[in-house]
Amino acid sequence: MTTTAIAITCTVNGVKVERTVEVRRTLAQFLREDLSLTGTKVSCDVQICGACTVLVDGQPVSSCTHLAVDVDRSAVTTVEGLASEGRLHPLQQAFVEQMALQCGFCTPGFLMMAKALLDENPDPSREQIIEYLDGNLCRCTGYAPIVAAVEQAARVLGPAGGDSNA
Amino acid sequence: MLPPFALERPDRLEDALALIGDDCLPYCGGTELLMAMKLNVLRPSCLVDLKGIAALARVEWRGDSLVIGGAVRHASLAADAEISRSLAVLTVVEQRVGNARVRTQGSIGGNLCFAEPRSDVATLLAALGASITLASSTGQRRIAITDFVLGAYETVREPTELLVEVLVPSARLKSGVYLKHQYAERPTVGVALVREGENGVWRLAVGAVGDVPIVIEVSSLDEIDAEAVADMTDPIEDISGGVDYKQHLVAVYVRRAVQAAAEDLGA
Amino acid sequence: MPDLEPGQTHLHAGRSVLRPDLIEKVTGAAQYCVDIRRSGMLHAKIVRSRRAHARIASIDTSAARAMSGVVAVIVASDLAGLFARFGHIVPDHEILASGKVRYYGEPVAIVVADTEAAASDALDYVDVDYEDLPAVMSAEEALAPGAPLVHEEQHRRVDVDSLSPVETGADQGELRTSNVAHEATLEWGDVDSVWPVAAAVVENRMHYPMLYAYAMEPYNAVASFDEGRLEVDSTAQHPFMVRDDLARIFSLPLAAVTVRAPYLGGGYGSKSYTKVEPLAAVASWRTGRPVKLVLDVEESIYTTRADSAEVHVRSAFDDQGHILAREIDIVMDSGAYADNSPLVVAKSVNRSFGPYRVPNLRVRGRSVYTNTSPASSYRGFGAPQGVLAGETNLEQAADRLGIDSAELRRRNLVRPGEEILHGKRGIDADLPADLEMVVGALREHAPEDQSWFASAMACSASDAGAFPVSTATVRVQADGSVIVLSGSTEMGQGSRSALAQIAAEELRVELRVVTVRQSDTGATAYERTTGASRTTTLTGLALQRACQDALSKLRSMAAEVKGCSADEIAPSPAGFALPGGDTISYGEVVRSWFGAAAGEVTGIGLLRREGATAKMPPFWEIGMIGVGCRIDPATGAIAVEQLVTVGDVGFAINPQAVEAQDLGAATQGLGCALFEELLYDGPQLMNPNIVDYRVPRMRDLPGRIDAMLAERRDGVGPYGAKGSGEGALNPIAAAVATAVARVVGRWPDRVPLTPERVWRLINETGPDDTTGDRSSPREG
Repeated sequence: MTTTAIAITCTVNGVKVERTVEVRRTLAQFLREDLSLTGTKVSCDVQICGACTVLVDGQPVSSCTHLAVDVDRSAVTTVEGLASEGRLHPLQQAFVEQMALQCGFCTPGFLMMAKALLDENPDPSREQIIEYLDGNLCRCTGYAPIVAAVEQAARVLGPAGGDSNA
Repeated sequence: MLPPFALERPDRLEDALALIGDDCLPYCGGTELLMAMKLNVLRPSCLVDLKGIAALARVEWRGDSLVIGGAVRHASLAADAEISRSLAVLTVVEQRVGNARVRTQGSIGGNLCFAEPRSDVATLLAALGASITLASSTGQRRIAITDFVLGAYETVREPTELLVEVLVPSARLKSGVYLKHQYAERPTVGVALVREGENGVWRLAVGAVGDVPIVIEVSSLDEIDAEAVADMTDPIEDISGGVDYKQHLVAVYVRRAVQAAAEDLGA
Repeated sequence: MPDLEPGQTHLHAGRSVLRPDLIEKVTGAAQYCVDIRRSGMLHAKIVRSRRAHARIASIDTSAARAMSGVVAVIVASDLAGLFARFGHIVPDHEILASGKVRYYGEPVAIVVADTEAAASDALDYVDVDYEDLPAVMSAEEALAPGAPLVHEEQHRRVDVDSLSPVETGADQGELRTSNVAHEATLEWGDVDSVWPVAAAVVENRMHYPMLYAYAMEPYNAVASFDEGRLEVDSTAQHPFMVRDDLARIFSLPLAAVTVRAPYLGGGYGSKSYTKVEPLAAVASWRTGRPVKLVLDVEESIYTTRADSAEVHVRSAFDDQGHILAREIDIVMDSGAYADNSPLVVAKSVNRSFGPYRVPNLRVRGRSVYTNTSPASSYRGFGAPQGVLAGETNLEQAADRLGIDSAELRRRNLVRPGEEILHGKRGIDADLPADLEMVVGALREHAPEDQSWFASAMACSASDAGAFPVSTATVRVQADGSVIVLSGSTEMGQGSRSALAQIAAEELRVELRVVTVRQSDTGATAYERTTGASRTTTLTGLALQRACQDALSKLRSMAAEVKGCSADEIAPSPAGFALPGGDTISYGEVVRSWFGAAAGEVTGIGLLRREGATAKMPPFWEIGMIGVGCRIDPATGAIAVEQLVTVGDVGFAINPQAVEAQDLGAATQGLGCALFEELLYDGPQLMNPNIVDYRVPRMRDLPGRIDAMLAERRDGVGPYGAKGSGEGALNPIAAAVATAVARVVGRWPDRVPLTPERVWRLINETGPDDTTGDRSSPREG
């Protein structure tokens, strides 16, 4: 059946969500406008800058170029889902302490991308961090504090990586 | 902002084949397609989502040959242990396609059908002597990857055809290296150098620089004349360089690939 | 509250405290303008010109208006009755093109619909019929005799001393004769008499590219016009100046217009002055409903870019390397509208010849209209354009004279207190000392492998701080907590945190009880601009005064309630020490005086051109940079292996934040030096997107970074502070160009030094090839 809107069920930051969504709506629009989760930011809108990165079933995607209907039966994690019980995630804490952000517009994307990295590889080398995060752009910091923050978070999280704090 | 369209989500291949056509495009990861729609380059009225079709999502070995379903994601290929053991050069390339987000979303079939000249995967598959299978409601055909791509963003695929699988023949016997010069968002030059068997022939593919990869077969690395290879290319002049600079880069990277092959593969 | 340790003079100032705004930002809670929604809100999309220069023959909006969800389609003729232009220097910038379009991408119509999708879908249905006009696509073309005029009319400049709105039509009638939007000159001594007698005369020419700041939050605004009142939330660095433009457009009292700027997703000067606010405002005015307008990156690129420049420098030296004269000519391509370019070129004139003793000087700068996207402010503000040519000229002189370039600078740099602009503030920095910091760091960490490697340095001084009109308000609450009101904007630079540190310092309270609210023209204190690195210095001074005002009032009130003399009351943490040994907190003072658990005490701080800030500029912003670059001769790619920054900031309120600003500024500067350039191909840009406009990425990170601070308390701001944020950018392209020249043995004539350009520089055969075809993007 040809359809321009589809009913989906998913979880977003652990909360069950049921909605009928126009198929042309991107995941970023769905999160920001339908669910008022405006922490996810859109900048380049063509999946280059990484600002809109969220996790779908633990994998990083560019929510600006991902159809919302494709998260049906999936678990979505956004920057709003990183902190738990009022405590900052070690990545968030490290970003603040290392001053790995200034304007902060790219930061949700960097945090989610870094979380995906540490979930996959709890003890990345500096080169691995740079290779993995090279597809995220930041115009304020000059990147060095971001690398330092990911290294700090990896130390804090230890060998279990991000899984223990997911 | 995406223009309006309808979405079909078949779970059987034949249903998908019955739907696709001029105005109804196959859709999987969307990394190229949705971007083209946002930029108003494509305005299909309908997308056919292939993600529900199990047959397109398989990676399997047929003897020594590797068969990859058209909807398999780059991330799956990058993480595939058997591929890493048996065809490590494909793992290396897949681990560096775009970035982790593109690898999560993008499929190998979409990558090839879009025929972006700067596709690393297409260049490597050309060196690997891969072929692809196109299916339609009326039948299917297998085509060498080098015959599949006609030019920049142009393939022999008919609108009613779907790329259902990629075949790498004798994959277990092959080994190779892949090097690229990437200054901007996409590579300027990509060079793949692959050998079949201990004493087999070498296939050199040079991609990204021109509309389509060029492929050369030699029986030993000594036969590769980097300058001559560079002269064979027909570079696209663009923001990342003029023709002479790109041909120069081809020669540089062919030499570097030959050296890497000699070191890594003990040739 | 932290304790004062031996040697520390301040409780809060000078400490690398965690910035509270960063915590909001890492959780996703921080609200940016693009996150704002209003009830009943409509969405606007812009129909843009697809010609560089063309007469608008007709616009047919009927098909678009008939589409589902479309509420209105607005064109220039719908703005009758308004003063439909803006521009804080020359009000030449039409809200919607009327009569003709002047650049590809210029707004021609606004589609307003009930959803963003509906507005977007209708864009293609607005039919604009153009008649092409000959276009001038470069400053060279625009300056040619008989060139077509971008603007036929000479618009009268905004009278800065008068607030009365310019009346419609009142400034029309005068006709322009050229495309020069503005000319600025500076001259002393007798330059022409020097050339014949100099030991060496060194001449060079450098091209500085068109740049896009790429603040990651694109321009956006939400406007609500209702019953003669206008409220706008926007991505504005200078909300008060945007308010003034909007009030003029609608002939409203300033007090009837409110402009708010929440957190900005980057600014770097590119969000200075009015951008999209008039479009959103007229859409709301026409529809009677709140209207939100969010540009995409391509539209943002076409909204504002940095002025490109062609700079020609000639310098004369004696045989000891002393500068005898400098003559500099600057031509900037300012695009279709003046915006802030007249000031950019004027600042470029002041900043181009360097912080040196120059006994004879002649500088001319011209800002030229072309049929390209409008240029305006960008971090550095004219300095990077001039310094690139001026500093590479000095390096070439060092080669010619056989004097080490650091030594050449030592012989010419001004000493603390010396003037470089006659009658202006003397240099409030120790440049020779800063220079030795860079020289030392480059030498100490020089790599062993020197093949295809060179290090280089460059420096600059900018007359910074802009015009000193700042105010601040402090409200001490009944529990002793403190609200600071400031009209300055938090765009990432850390002003919210720095102002909180200053207030906590002055009031002797804990940092956590201070809340800073910013940039709301209807509710916070006035601030002229957030630019020119001014906030810490100028807003900081106003805030210190506001705190002293509040303390003075609190002290009098404490004396009143305790029945003693104010003279008997001494400062103590978060309150006062009373005669007899008791203390009283600020909260107790407020509550006791009002006689209830209620009330507040307000302190006001005003800053203008008097006293310490009488002399312009309020301070000099120093750039002192070193780089070490290695070239891959096979590809021409440059790896920056060393980066040395010296933040000569007088006093760092938050040292970690200052170093972070310096690294960020240096990195943006490296973007210009190595990668970034907007390129026109015919009427439109080849690369108006982040796919092809290459910005610095994580893999470009310099191998070693030495970020140093020079804190000599020589600034006019709080505790001796001066501004920061532009200095590290201004000279860096010159340093990179010099390093490349040292490796290659030939001088580049432009940046960015892309791999291809460096490869061509290496492989050139003769000196004649170095100039190349300036109009071609792939030459050089």
